[in-house]
Amino acid sequence: MQAPLDPIIPSRSNEEHPAAVAGPQPSGLFDSGRSRVTTLSMKGICKSFFGVEVLHGVDFAVERGEVMGLCGENGAGKSTLMKILSGIHPQDAGEVVLKGKPVEWGASPREMQSLGVSMIHQELNLLDELTVAQNIFLCREPRSSSGLIDFGKMNDEAAALLEKFGEKIHPRRKVRELKIAQKQMVEIAKATSFNVELLIMDEPTSVLTGKETRILFDLIANLSSQGIGVVYISHRLKEIGEVCHRVTVLRDGHLVATKRVAEVTPRDLATLMVGREVKDIRAQDFAGDPESVVLEARGVSDDLLKGVSFKVRRGEILGFAGLVGAGRTELMEVLFGIRKPRTGEVLIGGKPTNIRNAMDAIRADLGFVTEDRKDTGLVLCRDITENANYVIWQKTPGLFKGKRKSAGDTRRMIERLGIRCIGPAQIVSSLSGGNQQKVALAKWLLSGAKILVLDEPTRGVDVGARQEIYRIIRELAAEGTTIVLVSSDLPEILSICERVIVMHEGRVTGELEASQTTEAKIMYCATDVRAGGEHGRA
Amino acid sequence: MDALEIGSESRPVDLMKSVWHNYSILLVFGAIIVICGIAAPRFLNPDNLLNILRNTSIVGAIALGMTFVIIAGGIDLSSGPVLATSGAVLILLQRMVHADGSPVVPLPLAILACLSVGTAFGFLNGMVITKAKLPPFIVTLAVGILARSVVMYFCRGATIMGNNIPQFTGIGNGSVLNVPIPFIIVVILAILFHVLLTRSKFGTYVFAVGGNENAARYSGIKVDRIRIITYMLVGLCTGTAATVEMSRMAAVAATTSGSQYEFEAITAVIVGGTSLSGGKGRLIGTVVGFIILGIVNNMMIMLNISPYLSGAVKGAVILFAVLLQSRGR
Repeated sequence: MQAPLDPIIPSRSNEEHPAAVAGPQPSGLFDSGRSRVTTLSMKGICKSFFGVEVLHGVDFAVERGEVMGLCGENGAGKSTLMKILSGIHPQDAGEVVLKGKPVEWGASPREMQSLGVSMIHQELNLLDELTVAQNIFLCREPRSSSGLIDFGKMNDEAAALLEKFGEKIHPRRKVRELKIAQKQMVEIAKATSFNVELLIMDEPTSVLTGKETRILFDLIANLSSQGIGVVYISHRLKEIGEVCHRVTVLRDGHLVATKRVAEVTPRDLATLMVGREVKDIRAQDFAGDPESVVLEARGVSDDLLKGVSFKVRRGEILGFAGLVGAGRTELMEVLFGIRKPRTGEVLIGGKPTNIRNAMDAIRADLGFVTEDRKDTGLVLCRDITENANYVIWQKTPGLFKGKRKSAGDTRRMIERLGIRCIGPAQIVSSLSGGNQQKVALAKWLLSGAKILVLDEPTRGVDVGARQEIYRIIRELAAEGTTIVLVSSDLPEILSICERVIVMHEGRVTGELEASQTTEAKIMYCATDVRAGGEHGRA
Repeated sequence: MDALEIGSESRPVDLMKSVWHNYSILLVFGAIIVICGIAAPRFLNPDNLLNILRNTSIVGAIALGMTFVIIAGGIDLSSGPVLATSGAVLILLQRMVHADGSPVVPLPLAILACLSVGTAFGFLNGMVITKAKLPPFIVTLAVGILARSVVMYFCRGATIMGNNIPQFTGIGNGSVLNVPIPFIIVVILAILFHVLLTRSKFGTYVFAVGGNENAARYSGIKVDRIRIITYMLVGLCTGTAATVEMSRMAAVAATTSGSQYEFEAITAVIVGGTSLSGGKGRLIGTVVGFIILGIVNNMMIMLNISPYLSGAVKGAVILFAVLLQSRGR
């Protein structure tokens, strides 16, 4: 990559200018007073599911070349609005107008796509067993004169598309072999390969590293300058300020406001979303006993990790920052016995451990709320009670579950964590993301874990639930639970971690106390600016 | 109680849906009995009904074990041949008699050997599937072919007659208070298994493994062990079915004993509403499922339909049952 490696969150977005528009300078482009052709206008959209109205006459418009942010808590109606726009659901009332022409009611997703509306879903829709190029050109593969698929041409075109992202993904690789961020890049390449007028992106950066995010923003600016409208859905309010021209806020199916980003701070947006004041909290330094080390890693190395050492004390909240691929999740998997280190050791309570599998880790009172709750955290097709009790059942002897005790335990957890559900028998897949995350957390709290590893605990969780999870983390730490938190969300690290360890390519490249941590410092350690050079405290 | 809780807080449409989802199989079952009773009044004759229960119990026993395997996300295609193999062991042991006519191997011991052979095949299936990480479909298919071949070899491809003594034949052909013994065995198994599936930790882990293997592993559940045990359970059930089948005929036929039973058992499980993708299912559904299959077989005779068409009817029943369930969801 030849692009200069400027830190992702440069100092211009510091406290004095919270909504300073960094990056592609969108407002300049948009304010140039050229004739405004409305790409999309949605008026008075109403939609009910099973007799419950979830959208109450929402207006939404995107001008030509405009990047429109769309935010709101989970359940606010963003997805429903976008599903109506992309043809997945028909609206009950209201009209959709694309480039001045009303869209026929009940247009299918395919028809909407042919009208130029493309959507990149948060959950990636790629076929794992096909190659990158096959995915990009699925169902519209270039043909040779004999009518067979022209693989050479297809691969070349795919490579050309991917090049725009500065991503070195070989078009012949199977999607299964790609990292999650690379898969997302393929999705974006696929969406832009259509003749788009309006591109909807649902939380596109939730799996991207800072560098990839920067590339994405450049790309969005590029699309915008070509006159393509972009709807940018994100929980990361700072990103909205960076990349969008205007932002629309929904709450409980109502349009709350549409504002120019220059007029609002991320905090204003959060307030609009939740309907009350949201306070930014900065974490304090760890105030507990500095000698009470409960977990220590010494020189842990394997294919990816290179001599990682760290200590964490009782009741401390230790953050692990870094880019995707820095080895943070892998380190946590070593602690939990899922990955075997080649060298190095892990000490718990000062004693060397021999953790070979998850059960050994559970016996050592470790808990691991994994990064991907759908894959490794929850059994989605089972109910809350079962999911919350899997670990405690194994820790206690006996063949039978003890229905009464587990029901009581589950109710207690539902109350304590504020899990919004019909009851303990509700199937987990029908809960919202935030509530699912709380169930994953409940499993480990019930098990009595004393050291809790949380890997990206607020991914895909809305602002309100996020604050609740932070509150729970702080409470747990205050009660003496040691928290190891892996997060790619810097404001999150700053607001709850008492100490931060930064990793880059399998190495610890920095260690910062809360009082001396800034986003810029973390990014400085996390990017390869200092790679190869001397490290922080090793 | 929990189901009621959900119902009471939601609207009538949802309540109807939940009732349909939970009890559709019983409603369909009731409808089938009424229709059959109208089509052939002899169907409702108690002797006929008891006969259905007796005939359906052998596949029924296998289906009970199969339910665990399928809920855990697996499948067992070796049950039929394994039934023949364990049955052959039972017959071969049981037919050996001293000069005075007393058995060389006591009958309980021979039955125990039969159950052990079934369970051992289950263990073999489970070990290969989990340790070699191969798809259950292929492993059990191969083990089934292998088992069938072994039994053909030992029987020289023919039928071997057992020792036709009432203590032995009574298991499959006898009744207690008019209730066929095979059905009593299946009911006892079903109750035990129902408790195992719904009340025990093991049962919950079976659902977890089938629902999301990774999440189960990260929760410390010994996924491989759970898998192996489910295959051993279906093996044990197959051994039980073999005991009943052998005792009914007092003979083992190398090529036809247990033929197609694995498919009948899988059909019963699917008709009973257990999801082939794992993580969902109920034993009561399986019980109703195999009885429905028994009724279908019986009605073919009642209505004088060519036995060659039984497959067509069963195929239609599967499609219909699955269609109803997918609509109910």
